[in-house]
Amino acid sequence: MRREGPVLLGAITGIVVIISTYFTTQVLTTVKNEIDQWYLIAEAFVCLVGLINLSRIHFDRLSKKKPGAANSIALLVCMYGFVLFGLYRGSLGDKQYSWLYNTTVNPMSATVFSLLAFYIGSAAYRAFRVRTAEATVLLTAAVIMMLGRVPIGKMISPYIPQMAGWILDYPNTAGMRGITLGATLGGIATALRIMVGIERGHLGSD
Amino acid sequence: MSFWDKAQNVDRRVIYALMFAVIALVLIKPVGLAIEIKKETQMAYDALAKIPTGSVIWLSADYGASSIPELLPAQKSVMRHAFGKGLRIVAGAMWNEGGNMIDLAWQDIQKDFPNKKYGVDFVNVGYKPGGAVLLERIATDAHQALLGMDHYGKLFSELPLMQEFKSFKDAKFIFEFVTGTPGEKDYIKMVTDKLKIPFATSATSVSVPEQMPLLQSGQLCGLVMGMAGAAEYEMLVGKPGTATAGMDAQSFAHVLIIGFIILGNLGYLLSGKSKFRRKA
Repeated sequence: MRREGPVLLGAITGIVVIISTYFTTQVLTTVKNEIDQWYLIAEAFVCLVGLINLSRIHFDRLSKKKPGAANSIALLVCMYGFVLFGLYRGSLGDKQYSWLYNTTVNPMSATVFSLLAFYIGSAAYRAFRVRTAEATVLLTAAVIMMLGRVPIGKMISPYIPQMAGWILDYPNTAGMRGITLGATLGGIATALRIMVGIERGHLGSD
Repeated sequence: MSFWDKAQNVDRRVIYALMFAVIALVLIKPVGLAIEIKKETQMAYDALAKIPTGSVIWLSADYGASSIPELLPAQKSVMRHAFGKGLRIVAGAMWNEGGNMIDLAWQDIQKDFPNKKYGVDFVNVGYKPGGAVLLERIATDAHQALLGMDHYGKLFSELPLMQEFKSFKDAKFIFEFVTGTPGEKDYIKMVTDKLKIPFATSATSVSVPEQMPLLQSGQLCGLVMGMAGAAEYEMLVGKPGTATAGMDAQSFAHVLIIGFIILGNLGYLLSGKSKFRRKA
């Protein structure tokens, strides 16, 4: 029952949610609303699970004096600092909490992501080589898109933004439609496998 | 090592240094390249412009600090557009940093619209967990789904605007600023397709390709594409900002990358190692 219980619970809740999408009755709506409430509670608890897991990993790293332990101290201080300060101030919109967030997380996140500009520049230089016909097509499309989406593209030629628009409207849209359909069908298949208990990876090992 | 061999193996520090120099120079001394308004941005602008004065719209800030350069300027421009038309805004988020993003935009916009009052013309309900389930709940009972409290801890009973906004059915337009999941597909599944509410998004450039099918099918009535789209929206509302300033830097950075790509390929073709050269 230890393994069958969660599978049965998943199957029942899944079936109720699917049926309530297509049929509306008082009983179904009430049950679905209750399931939704439990989903919201569980989602909030997922953050707590993440907090406990991170703490476990990094305290272990500190206690065993593994390499990178100094980074673990920084992580734990920042993580618990924000949690405790947020709880003390009472709301995410508190002025002091917002100040702390805007002066630390904002610039640091922007800094880390802005490094991508340099990495992508270097990676594009090394990766975009005309080794094959497919690589040449990729390179051509990338150059047209890079120029077509910025003002300088129109300065070079008015056809460049038009070609970039064509690439977005036709080949890209067709390809993305196919990918979205395939991913959705795969998602439906996986969800059905989880509901009937064929897929059990989420239950953990015995 | 010949010159062409060196050309395809330029030290990455040279690329980093040149990239930094180009971006910094252009930011310090802007060139002022003309920005052309793309049809997708114009569609979003026109769709919002059709909403009657006094209506309530919903803005969703589903992004984090890392997407500020692309999405925050668009959010500010859309809020300027909405306030300029006399619309009232209820803003929320499915991402945990979204409430702070809305607050950042509001702090800036307030200076241009001092007559707009919090609680009367604008409410920031902040982040609430739940993703698509949250949206489904807001579509039926917003006050219960949003826990009756805004981002700053104020109860909805203290905010006059929230007495008029009881669910998504009271919103005449939804505009989402999005960079991933949960995102626009959840709005389309749970809200806009069911309730037939006009829906536009502002997305980071990497998310634009996957939203193009939604625009073509009519599930999106407009799409503001990345920083370029944000700059275009800034031009449409007549208040150039950080996105417009960033377009010059982005233009020259792209030209630099393309220059290195051409150099690398010339080096590859002329160095004697490519199959084309070997066949010759």
